[in-house]
Amino acid sequence: MSTKKIVIIGNSAAGVAAIEAIRERDNASKITVISDESYSAYCRCLISNYLAGTIDENGLIYRDKKFYADNMVELLLEKKAEKVDVKKKNVVLEDKTQIPYDSLIIATGASSKMPKDLKGVSKKGVFAFRTINDARDILNLTTVSHTSCILGGGLIGLKAAYGLKKRGQDVKIIVRSGRLMSQVVDNIASSFILKRFQDNGIEVLLNSDVSEIIGNGDMKALKLDNGKVIGCSLAVIGKGVSPNVKLIKETDIKTDKGILVDEYMRTNIENVYAAGDVCQAYDLTMGKPEINALWPHAVEQGRYAGANICGDNLKYAGSFGMNSVEFFGLAIISIGIFDGDYETLSYADKDKEVYKKVVIDGDRLIGALFVGSIANSGLYTRLIKERINISGIKDDLLDENISYAKIKNLVKEEKEKIYI
Amino acid sequence: MAKKLYYDVSKCLACKSCELVCAVGKSSSKELQAALSEETKPLSCVKVKSLESKNFPIACRHCKEHPCVSACIAGALSYDKTKKLVDYDRNKCVGCWMCVMVCPYGAIRDNKALKIPVRCDLCQDADEPRCLKACPVGAIIYLEEEELDKLLKPKKSV
Repeated sequence: MSTKKIVIIGNSAAGVAAIEAIRERDNASKITVISDESYSAYCRCLISNYLAGTIDENGLIYRDKKFYADNMVELLLEKKAEKVDVKKKNVVLEDKTQIPYDSLIIATGASSKMPKDLKGVSKKGVFAFRTINDARDILNLTTVSHTSCILGGGLIGLKAAYGLKKRGQDVKIIVRSGRLMSQVVDNIASSFILKRFQDNGIEVLLNSDVSEIIGNGDMKALKLDNGKVIGCSLAVIGKGVSPNVKLIKETDIKTDKGILVDEYMRTNIENVYAAGDVCQAYDLTMGKPEINALWPHAVEQGRYAGANICGDNLKYAGSFGMNSVEFFGLAIISIGIFDGDYETLSYADKDKEVYKKVVIDGDRLIGALFVGSIANSGLYTRLIKERINISGIKDDLLDENISYAKIKNLVKEEKEKIYI
Repeated sequence: MAKKLYYDVSKCLACKSCELVCAVGKSSSKELQAALSEETKPLSCVKVKSLESKNFPIACRHCKEHPCVSACIAGALSYDKTKKLVDYDRNKCVGCWMCVMVCPYGAIRDNKALKIPVRCDLCQDADEPRCLKACPVGAIIYLEEEELDKLLKPKKSV
């Protein structure tokens, strides 16, 4: 086996999965991982649990230092990759160090979108919610802050709200649109989630926007677009994320919203791969490249990139939106497309706070939504992913007793050596 | 040593003895009578479901692809290559149900009260899976894959 220099920029889900895939196939090549954070890989999605106090910093560890040693990985922490030079085949760090590569994986992830035009957004007390450091800074301020405001009713905002409420803060969520989680669930599911937040003492201001953050240095209050002023010394911005593509701006690597990759996770430049939140891979439900910045996809994409660098020709089937969260005991799972001009079947029980919906395009399932009861949701993920013809089981899709037995003869099972 | 559970569907009568012994095994007391009065009812990791007059015990098969491991945002699920087993660390689990969302067999259930995924761990706390001896018709088989292949030679998988 020839030894290569493999460089991975980014040390989260995709980067770690790439390391594991490479080392399953190749123990000789040199792997260097570049990260601008100061920790070994941690569970980014759990920073809200850390904020809530349900796990400590140890609980956040995804792969400890030993992992890098065991896998013979050179881990460069607190080093920011400033640019990639695809002609010279090296990565240039902020301190101008050049790191040459034979194969490169860009797994730089995404960063919180901050509303730059919002007056006062750079005042102290205004936070993004993406990293351990964000969570720690927020936590430090909760000792003196009483009221926390969340800007945005999406997943990030709601997770921050949940965490802060658990820390005893008086929490208000300010949402521009008319409902919560509008990018992930439909109106009915939104109403269930809204009720659960309100029942747990969180004030939700819908159809509202912040026009100014007020204070000298430290923020003291928020001014809403209706003129109302809310006194608070802590604000979290949850306005989505954008892929970290700055380092390839000077290259010919093709981007759209994120870095475009083919089904082998390759960019248009030879030996340069991308994976995770920074990349825009084929979306199975949309039928076009789309960013699905989600942990499970990042892991899969990282694994494919790693395997393919080692000469496997593994085709990545594609991703699609999927999310699972639980707020104050209410479980919510959203898979694929949740609304639109399609056939839908649904069942809702307001008293039990249970809601289930499937979205069908012709004879294919393209989306499913579960609130309150999430049993067997994995079967729906599979039906969507494998593009199974569901015309024969349409009537069973809302049945709570649906099971693998029902779809067994429809799905692709290469050689099912479990049942004999 | 990497034994797995296999099910002979020509024998399974869907008597659900496996479900019962599994749930008891997952209780804190591990005794039927006591388990019934436990505050949080233990759940079975296996569920027997029928299709076209055949019965299929459905449980985690510790599959090679294990999408649950990829999806686990807490690093609580991992794959043990030697044991060919999807391993679970309760101390790391936060009950986010990502694993439930991606299990292609619907073999992971959510225990809402305990906030833990219910899935077959091949009874790591016992000598062998409890369902094995509980099955009155011998429909549950616990073997290494190679041993099963020898056994199956004349037979075809369904």
